[in-house]
Amino acid sequence: MLGGVFHAAVLFLVAAGLQLVFGVQRILNLACGSFYALGAYFGVSAVTWALGAGLPAPLFVVVLLGAGLALAAIGPPLERLLRTIYDRDESFQLLLTFALVLMFEDVIRFFWGTAPYQLGQAYLIYGQWRIGGSVVPVYNLVVIAAGGLIALGMGWFLARSRFGRIVRATAENREMSEALGVDMTRVYARVFTLGVALGTVGGALVIPATAATNEMGIELIVEAFAVVVIGGLGSMRGAFAGALIVGLMKASAIAIYPEVEMLAVYVVVISVLVLRPSGLFARATA
Amino acid sequence: MLLEAIDVRKLYGTFCALDGVTLAVGPGEFVSIVGPNGAGKTTLVNVLSGLTSPSSGAVRFRGDDVAGRGPVGLARAGMARAFQLVHVFPALSVGETLAVAITSRRGRRARLFAGLAGDRQLWDEVATVASVFGLDGALDRPARTLPQGDKKLLDVASAFALHPEVILLDEPTSGVSTGDKHAIMEVLVKAAARMGVKAIIQVEHDMDIVFGYSDRIVALHQGRVLADATPAALQANDEVMATIVGRTVSHMEPPAARTQPLPSKTGHPRPDPGTPGPLQ
Amino acid sequence: MARVIAVLLGVALLAAPLVLPRYQITLLLPSFAYGIALLGLNLLFGTTGLLSFGHALFVALGAYTAAYLTTGFGVRHFELIVVGAALVAVVVAVPVGLLCVRYVKIYFGMLTLAFGMLFYSFLYKFYTVTGGDEGMRVLRPMLLGQPLAGLNKVDFLTGPFYYYALALLALAALVMHRIVRSPFGLCLRAIRENPEKAEALGVSARRHRFGAFLIAAVFGAVGGTLLGVPTGLADPLLAYWTHSGNLVFMLLLGGFDHFLGPVVGAIVFIFLQDLIMSLTSYWRFVFGAILAVLVIFVPRGLLGLLDARTRASA
Repeated sequence: MLGGVFHAAVLFLVAAGLQLVFGVQRILNLACGSFYALGAYFGVSAVTWALGAGLPAPLFVVVLLGAGLALAAIGPPLERLLRTIYDRDESFQLLLTFALVLMFEDVIRFFWGTAPYQLGQAYLIYGQWRIGGSVVPVYNLVVIAAGGLIALGMGWFLARSRFGRIVRATAENREMSEALGVDMTRVYARVFTLGVALGTVGGALVIPATAATNEMGIELIVEAFAVVVIGGLGSMRGAFAGALIVGLMKASAIAIYPEVEMLAVYVVVISVLVLRPSGLFARATA
Repeated sequence: MLLEAIDVRKLYGTFCALDGVTLAVGPGEFVSIVGPNGAGKTTLVNVLSGLTSPSSGAVRFRGDDVAGRGPVGLARAGMARAFQLVHVFPALSVGETLAVAITSRRGRRARLFAGLAGDRQLWDEVATVASVFGLDGALDRPARTLPQGDKKLLDVASAFALHPEVILLDEPTSGVSTGDKHAIMEVLVKAAARMGVKAIIQVEHDMDIVFGYSDRIVALHQGRVLADATPAALQANDEVMATIVGRTVSHMEPPAARTQPLPSKTGHPRPDPGTPGPLQ
Repeated sequence: MARVIAVLLGVALLAAPLVLPRYQITLLLPSFAYGIALLGLNLLFGTTGLLSFGHALFVALGAYTAAYLTTGFGVRHFELIVVGAALVAVVVAVPVGLLCVRYVKIYFGMLTLAFGMLFYSFLYKFYTVTGGDEGMRVLRPMLLGQPLAGLNKVDFLTGPFYYYALALLALAALVMHRIVRSPFGLCLRAIRENPEKAEALGVSARRHRFGAFLIAAVFGAVGGTLLGVPTGLADPLLAYWTHSGNLVFMLLLGGFDHFLGPVVGAIVFIFLQDLIMSLTSYWRFVFGAILAVLVIFVPRGLLGLLDARTRASA
């Protein structure tokens, strides 16, 4: 079960990035999985290098976080690229992000090859706890806590901070915000970068528990979409709830009947769409 | 009675848009719905045309209950509607737009293998409708290249091409210069006669047009029917006039300004302008 | 203009086996298969305005139907296989379509992607039924009742099968052409342009979209049957969402607002892919870049470019 929550925490990060970008810019970013993958690979490399350079083992989490955040630097140039088609039909925006998916696949292959990358046992450095009959690596709990903290942080940020309010206003009504003097270019660039960061950090944080593989990006997309559909497009709370649901569903499916792991998720997605088409917490209109 | 609204109420949350509206339109009638902004005119038209369901009350078209049936069902039943904001198919040509309406009317929407281009009957009818509305010069032009006035005509023309028994028009002359307004109204009445439209209901703000063409005027105010009478009778009531128009008016053009009568199903004569109608 | 392209293309494809080396001929085979599948996809996208990211589902369905019928049931008549695939496509497309056409744009894209992946996981996980990641074999079919056992694989593929596939493509194109030019096709375009106005004129958006979805599914599956024969294999990756993405890529490459765009796109894509794969292992990057350039600068595809050129010189 806790494995499910761990997975949910990471999923939440990626989905939050998706939601943020969709809510503000109305672009559904197929490449969010690619950011996740990039974060994972870069995280492995960064930690491996840091440990080799003498970093005390328990600090590897900091390096992971740093690696994830540093990758957000690709945000602004990517946003410039997407900017060229903001006024086009959303099908084209979707296709451009698909082009990014293809390109990132090979970028990763170029830098890291095709074999999976792992951090080995490094993450067990925090030890393991017995919780409810199963052994859980403390690291996973750390990630869950981090996920929760980030969720709270995002919530506070959107509700209280000045930029957060601008983001929400732009999501509700783009023209109005522009008319009120909000600099759309800056908002878009920042929001997109934040979205990228959420994805890359998510990928970096997951890496101790799984291996970084070439397919991880395109595999994650489907789950991220499931989260977003269940939670409702454009909603942060939806990302949180959706991630929890998907994470727990996968965990229970694996425990009960592994064959139907993803199928269970799809069933939930379809049921939500039939019963409550706009998701559980929908705010933005698709 | 062709179209009836019976004690229709429409609530949006706690806001009451329509508060017990009863209205009946019979064959041969040209009814204008007037009233200040927010009086509920568009909501009433939405309910009458099946776009919205009333919160309570009934809507009957030729005796059948059609409340909330939806635009598709009602269009097939014989009621058509043109919107206030012009709705066209940007990439389709004028001819193709009219062809959609005519195809729909003939029930050929699902014909997969019938050739469209060779259907002489279809394109002859397209040409006829286009000429009634003065659009025959633009048959091959994509709708998005048309000037705004022609787009409006096309929107209305495609609704008429359905040969509906009742047509609902939401501000047919809005955005049109005064000189052209009468021209449009003449076209509308002529088209109605040619295409078997038995009743026209319009929402209009221009009082000259309203008084010049209507058989009856229904004045809405805050979701209720303030008055439902002939133009002459309404004119005589200063109070109602003040509410509708916002000021008292001394003179409105008499109904005789309209040059052609609507075809009436039973052949009954039009109500005499001098007869006072019922006031609520 | 369109007629000229059609004639040129037809002549070129007919003459190809006589002029091109065998390897290139075998490349044309998947192009034909994709051409048929894309004609269906374009009915959804170009004509009706719905972008499906799950069309590969039906392509895979067709390939697996071919596999099942040839290996499991011993059916070798390709005509029966095509009909079988079409029927299977309809059976699957009805529930999937009914659900998907309730939504438009982004939701439609996401839903179709999800269904495609659902089928992929089914194909992958239930390996006792589907062969898992190894896939299922597609045995050489009989064309028009002829076993043609005397021919070796390459001769079969570059000879009779080539012309059979080409004929199937031509037939599919003719059928789709009728459909697009029919009252149904006109209604689809109306729905694409303005669904509210279409409904106000009595044209049900949902019903028409459903019809388009079904037709697209059938074309996808028929294309899929052709796809399985040259490789002799149906594998789960056929249903993966990136495969659907490639289908849309091909469509964009050829030009989605041209009738023959799908066919041109399929042929160019396959040949381009072959070329670039031979030059670098990072072909995905190159293709991604090509797609990006297409989307930003040449959204109407190759045939769209040709249009602009002829208009400019006219």
